[in-house]
Amino acid sequence: MATSYKFERLNIGRDYIANNYQAPLSLSGIAKCSYMSPYHFLRVFKDTYGETPNEFLIRLRVEQAKKMLITGDFSVSEICEQVGYTSLGSFSSLFLRQVGVAPTVYRRKLWALSGEAYRFPSQVIPACYAYNFLGKLAN
Amino acid sequence: MITSIAHTTIYVLNQEEALDFYKNKLGFEVGDDMKIEGDFRWLTVYPKSKPQTQLVLAEPKEGPMFTKDAAEKIRSLIEEGAFGAGVFETGNCQKTYEELVAKDVKFIQPPTEQLYGVEAMGLDNSGNWFSLVQR
Repeated sequence: MATSYKFERLNIGRDYIANNYQAPLSLSGIAKCSYMSPYHFLRVFKDTYGETPNEFLIRLRVEQAKKMLITGDFSVSEICEQVGYTSLGSFSSLFLRQVGVAPTVYRRKLWALSGEAYRFPSQVIPACYAYNFLGKLAN
Repeated sequence: MITSIAHTTIYVLNQEEALDFYKNKLGFEVGDDMKIEGDFRWLTVYPKSKPQTQLVLAEPKEGPMFTKDAAEKIRSLIEEGAFGAGVFETGNCQKTYEELVAKDVKFIQPPTEQLYGVEAMGLDNSGNWFSLVQR
């Protein structure tokens, strides 16, 4: 775990990733923001946050892609580009690995579950909340 | 065996204002911010170093959970400061306290030595109490 000072420096790098996830990012560039060597940044980041900078970046990109797939009418290619990937093939296989289904299948399944266009279905939130706030029981 | 707490709820008066407070003043990150069918906003935040524990920022509104009367009572109790948001940990209570005071976060107790560490007590922008603890 990082000391308080190191934690602040780490947060600068983490915020940099969060604010620029759509752009091509390099470990050395991010580590530079935190005034650390790439290897040191990688190790302390993983120790502190429980995931590597790349895992964090992928999580942000995939979460954004999921939102865009459900709440907009963007093509998968457009989404791929807007979340920072240049190869549609790489993006699609990454999405499949992370989410368990291909982007188009994810969209089709969630749109079918939702009773309202461009809204997430209640099944994406924990059932106790869906029941309490929306009156919906899990199927 | 239960291994961790994934979500816990903080009732707030206004989600947008609470989001600004938890994100820009306390420095939390946004977990989920999505519209669920029926216009319900599912909004979660978490401290940067603990993405595994998400705080659900929810407004008490008339619906399946609350009657109109109950929702109004809860809102009124939040404003009166009847609820606690929990205990937030920090590596340096005094320093974090000073940073938050500089951001106009209200405190009702400055950092004080306790049996379990150094603790300050603050209020979120809805009126929920929270402890800031250095162990």
